[in-house]
Amino acid sequence: MPHVLSRTPKMPQRGRPAGLPANRNISSVTRVIVKTAGNHKDFTVADDISVRQFKEKLSAHFKCQMDQLVLVFMGRLLKDQDTLSQRGIVDGHTIHLVIKSRHGPKSLAHSSQNLPTNVPCHRDRSTKGGNSGAYQPAAVSQAPVQSTVSMDSDASKVCTRNFEGDNSEHMAQMLGSPSVQRLLSNMEFMRQFVSEHPDMQQNSEVFHLLNNSEILCQALELAKNLAMIQEIMQIQQPAQNLEHALNLQPYPNLETIPGGSNALGQSYAGFSDQMLNSMQDPFGGNPFTALLAGQMPEQAQPSSLPPPPSQEQRDQLPQLHTTRVIYTSSHGLSPVTSTNTATNRVDQTSRANTISTKGQNYVCSIQQPSGIPALPSIEVTHQSREEDKDTTISICSSERRMEEDSLLSDEQASSQITGGMMQLLMNNPQLAAQMMLFLSMPQLSEQWRQQLPTSLQQSQLSDLLLAVANPKASQAILQIEQGLQLLATEAPALLPWVAPCLWGLGWLPAPSCSYPEMVPWAWNVPDMTEPKKPDCCHKSGAVLQKLRSLAGDPSHPSQAPEVRFSKQMESLQAMGFGNHQANLQALIATEGDTNAAIRKLKRSQGF
Amino acid sequence: MEPPNLYPVKLYVYDLSKGLARRLSPIMLGEGPGVRHTSIVVHKDEFFFGSGGISSCPPGRTLLGPPDSVVDVGSTEVTEEIFLEYLASLGESLFRGEAYNLFEHNCNTFSNEVAQFLTGRKIPSYITDLPSEVLSTPFGQALRPLLDSIQIQPPGGNTVGRPDGQS
Repeated sequence: MPHVLSRTPKMPQRGRPAGLPANRNISSVTRVIVKTAGNHKDFTVADDISVRQFKEKLSAHFKCQMDQLVLVFMGRLLKDQDTLSQRGIVDGHTIHLVIKSRHGPKSLAHSSQNLPTNVPCHRDRSTKGGNSGAYQPAAVSQAPVQSTVSMDSDASKVCTRNFEGDNSEHMAQMLGSPSVQRLLSNMEFMRQFVSEHPDMQQNSEVFHLLNNSEILCQALELAKNLAMIQEIMQIQQPAQNLEHALNLQPYPNLETIPGGSNALGQSYAGFSDQMLNSMQDPFGGNPFTALLAGQMPEQAQPSSLPPPPSQEQRDQLPQLHTTRVIYTSSHGLSPVTSTNTATNRVDQTSRANTISTKGQNYVCSIQQPSGIPALPSIEVTHQSREEDKDTTISICSSERRMEEDSLLSDEQASSQITGGMMQLLMNNPQLAAQMMLFLSMPQLSEQWRQQLPTSLQQSQLSDLLLAVANPKASQAILQIEQGLQLLATEAPALLPWVAPCLWGLGWLPAPSCSYPEMVPWAWNVPDMTEPKKPDCCHKSGAVLQKLRSLAGDPSHPSQAPEVRFSKQMESLQAMGFGNHQANLQALIATEGDTNAAIRKLKRSQGF
Repeated sequence: MEPPNLYPVKLYVYDLSKGLARRLSPIMLGEGPGVRHTSIVVHKDEFFFGSGGISSCPPGRTLLGPPDSVVDVGSTEVTEEIFLEYLASLGESLFRGEAYNLFEHNCNTFSNEVAQFLTGRKIPSYITDLPSEVLSTPFGQALRPLLDSIQIQPPGGNTVGRPDGQS
């Protein structure tokens, strides 16, 4: 605290000037306290010293330029031509000193440009260049210290302040500025910025959200690629040609779309409320509120619950619209994959119709768990022959795919989603008929739960999903399947001729994995596809085997699984896997491969 | 020479207890309305000190809402630019975030410091004397360890730092 000391002057003749400018005939000295930030020092100066001379002394003492010194007394700036006594500075008074920084005030013109006319941040008005207002100086040095970056931080910081005023269009505008984009792209910078924000220490939701690097990465990717996503969406929309609809884009391009799908899954199942709340928060939310807000309103309606379980097959197609719609609305925010996984999962089956419906239902379900009932119900009402088989095929293949797909992501995050989905699947009695057959098996459902997240990582799904959303396309696929099925039963001899198609649809085993570049789970027509995951072929083979067996493919004798796998069952039980049912299921899934079944069982039992 | 611009300086006083201490404190702490948070408002900005260092925000826009009382401290010639420099240097030296102490070195300390810099006047004593009053009571002393760990940082502000990164 400033201490106004009263101290009698040393020399008696140096009386205490009562602050009157007269008394020049008596030379006197004044002891003043110069207080600068952090310390203070006594200076004894002549009574009639001018401010300028005083500044000279100070500059010598504080080792700075004279023009850097600013003297403040009683709230008044001391001008050079004044004298101390003129200003009423007497013995013991405290003069405040501010040492200006070396760089003079720089205009923050460009940062002002980024921000529309909103709440004028004092930082802008301070016209200090390279402002890093949000940081302690040490922190700033860690961030990539560029003038533009600093300026961007200022812009972001100002934007942060403006959040309290709630202006999404402002945010959108600011986001659009390239400098801010650049800033947002710098993960390290953003992380630091976020962590240093005072709100971070108090808002655990935001803290968790913004500390999850994956979420941040995804969110940034999403923000950057929103336009691209929309463009891609529009491209997919008018796809009438099946080939085009099924065309798989190069992997890198799909990263954005998966981000969108990921956003859907994550945001709704695990974080939906949190995310929306977070978006209200001063910092992390608002940039994306604009995105979400822009997407959500018009999508809210169509993406509501899918029709109740007891729907007709013809209702399947209308539902497909919702897939796309839901997908569109997935450009909310958060990263993570579950939805993608689910839909991806579905696509890996060979049944186009079940794929589409299942995919759509997964999307629906993840978005709104109560919508899950639609999934099995559709399969139940699937009018084509062996609907049960279709269901089981799709499910089994899904499981198969999941357990074999070893890439991937954080199960933890998406397990929430799958867990919730599974929960609802279990709870709904109408699902029981088909789903319970395979899902009630603890180990299978466990596996599914585990694998679902990993499978969800596959990014190719998104455009497929869009393709599937096209009702005509899915109908065409359905007809193809039906035709192939008929062909298989009526004229198996012709199967080799259509082998590529069948393979794509999962009917025949991949011919010695000679299509490494083909995505196994895609119902590709032969002239399509691009190299995807080379390691998928063996998985597809297993899937196909499973499908084959379940579909009663004429190339395999139909036998009860117990009969076919009796030997394997014995060996499994001899090894100590006592659960007969589980063993059976595992063997079915692995098509009699004992070792794979063992792995399967171990994995499930390990959890 | 043109008359210098004078900027009004106000002190915003927030009663953090919002009346609760008013009921409790006469018994325990022996004085008036309890815990106060203050901030200085100048140049259309509110500046305060908390565990996060010196922060600023639009006046009355912290989560504390509008102040419970406003004290006119005076007026100052100090321009905003100089003031921000001053604050930045304070933030690096005397008023770093970690220097915050609920009793010894709190927001009122900061407000007092800034008020004197800007106007030469201190803030009312009943605010600055609160900690010592509390500590002089047996209850306050007993709670001292706990209270020492309390850090108040009203959310809604932005940290004030050295504008150009220099220290």
